[in-house]
Amino acid sequence: MKTKIWFVIVTSAIFFASALHADDFHNIQVHGEADFRYIHTNSDSQNNTDFSKFWDGGANQDLFHVNEAALTLQGRLNWSWTGSITAKYGYDAKNPVDISEAVLFFKPVSTSPWRINARLGSFFAPISLENTGTAWTSPYTLTSSAINSWVGEELKTFGGEATVGYHLENGDHVDFFGAGFGNNDTAGTLLAFRGWRLHDYEATISDGFKLPNPTHIQNIFPKQALTTQPFTEVDGRAGYYAGFNMERPDVLKFRVLYYDNRANPTIVENGQYGWHTRFGSAGLKFVLPFELTFIEQSMLGNTQMGGLVGTHAAVDVNFWAHSFLLSKKIIEGHRFSVRYDIFGTHKNDELVQNPNEENGSAWTVNYNWFFLKHHQLNFEVTTTNSNVTMRSLQNINPTQNETLWQIGYRVFF
Amino acid sequence: MLKNLWHFVLLSIFSCNVSSLTLQGTVTTTDGEPVFEAVITAVGTAKNKPSLTTSLRTIDQRNREFVSHILAIHAGESVIFPNSDNIQHHVYSFSPTNSFEIQLYKGMPAKPISFDKAGIVVLGCNIHDWMVGYVYVTDAPYFTQTDAKGAWTLNLPADDYTLTLWHPNLDSTNNVQIQQIKLNAEKTAPLEQKVTLKTTSRTGKPPAEDSQNPVY
Repeated sequence: MKTKIWFVIVTSAIFFASALHADDFHNIQVHGEADFRYIHTNSDSQNNTDFSKFWDGGANQDLFHVNEAALTLQGRLNWSWTGSITAKYGYDAKNPVDISEAVLFFKPVSTSPWRINARLGSFFAPISLENTGTAWTSPYTLTSSAINSWVGEELKTFGGEATVGYHLENGDHVDFFGAGFGNNDTAGTLLAFRGWRLHDYEATISDGFKLPNPTHIQNIFPKQALTTQPFTEVDGRAGYYAGFNMERPDVLKFRVLYYDNRANPTIVENGQYGWHTRFGSAGLKFVLPFELTFIEQSMLGNTQMGGLVGTHAAVDVNFWAHSFLLSKKIIEGHRFSVRYDIFGTHKNDELVQNPNEENGSAWTVNYNWFFLKHHQLNFEVTTTNSNVTMRSLQNINPTQNETLWQIGYRVFF
Repeated sequence: MLKNLWHFVLLSIFSCNVSSLTLQGTVTTTDGEPVFEAVITAVGTAKNKPSLTTSLRTIDQRNREFVSHILAIHAGESVIFPNSDNIQHHVYSFSPTNSFEIQLYKGMPAKPISFDKAGIVVLGCNIHDWMVGYVYVTDAPYFTQTDAKGAWTLNLPADDYTLTLWHPNLDSTNNVQIQQIKLNAEKTAPLEQKVTLKTTSRTGKPPAEDSQNPVY
């Protein structure tokens, strides 16, 4: 239903405006990407699938598949408004093809230092400093950081965002932004029930994810469905995020954001609980001499679900993660990147049968070669060590070492 | 932040002309790289100013860049902004001395923009955020810009001059290098001046192809 509504609104706006202004604007731009992967995974345990840190982890296996194929339609409606809609096929997705973003941008020109702009539709909150490419790809790595993997899975803004910025003539600017949104009441489910993960799957707007160890979860929470729907409105109460961004273009970017989905944790609707999720996020990007780029991101938050059990909600989990990426453009088209991720969750609640504790870290090393303007070849390895107490429920050693080898060929157009 | 040390080498050659002397210079880096489109102005002590001819100047939009990236004009001149790309540009400036906006379809716009007040006008494009250009509007009686080899020439009468070198990437207060120079028929004084230049600065060029962003 949501897919249809946003698809109709944004595509209608794009095509209606393009028909009106056919002589003035070369309106419709089509871009996209296709992503083919060979992957090889290693894990200490062959049964560590539910609580693996990787999408296809938990067993020693070789896979070859079309990882993703995305198509973005962009249109300029007039001098101030543009529209963009992205549909994608995702490997292992609930729907073969679905919308991942549908957004109208308002960006009027300003002849004063103050500028305003706005976004309306379904889009990613401004958290990732790495996923800047077509269809939310990263120019640095195939696998996203723990933070950005979770953003891709469970966070999406369905609503509006407004920004007020103050610009200096040298290009420096500071922007204050705020957004109101719905349909994000289940954000936090996967962090609490499964923990962090490292992948590059971005949920589409009517997506769903199977819960890990679902029978155990249903034994504790019989009303919980076996699948979590990340973009669901449970309580009819809007959430918000707000923050600021400081930028010296091509040199430095610093961004801070606070998010609160204001979900009511005691309401369950169609098997979906409200998860009251709040977090702070900060990111720093430095463009250094010698073609080096440094990106750091941090996130610290808490999620709560269910009525009180003792002094806490039935599930009350703190979560945190940091990532540090250093990337070097070796020569034109050749890039080498290294990222270190460290992440964890800590249980505050008193429900002993649901041990949501984890600590982990990961190294990702990527070399990619961009050639013939549109093609990119990636060689990447991610290795992670994590201690997840929930693994013990499946008689697996809580501490697991896992490695993911990938060769990725991507074409952008 | 690391900074490259750039080297401003000024070679002055004076010819014996009764009314006008030729002052020449070359702006290069320590690596010998020429600095393109730097602005040189000369202000003397003489009260008599040369009569400046006013002409229509041009800044084109080509391959999603301002061409020229830097244009020096004298106050009162006008600049027209044609669009050689097959997409729209929305040029604007919020510089206090000359703020304006102009919507550019393909081809030549109806009107040029007049720049009446001296100052530096920074240009942007509301559609392509990376685009940046500069109009250096000056009251100075003598001014010129460096060519692709970093060379420049000014024809001046003998006088004491305040010589200003400006480039948006000069890492000094207001991006300028100022020096005093006494110009007479006898003197031949090659000048050397070292300045630092920002290593990371806005180029005004589209993002690299491997940024995975379509440049449109």
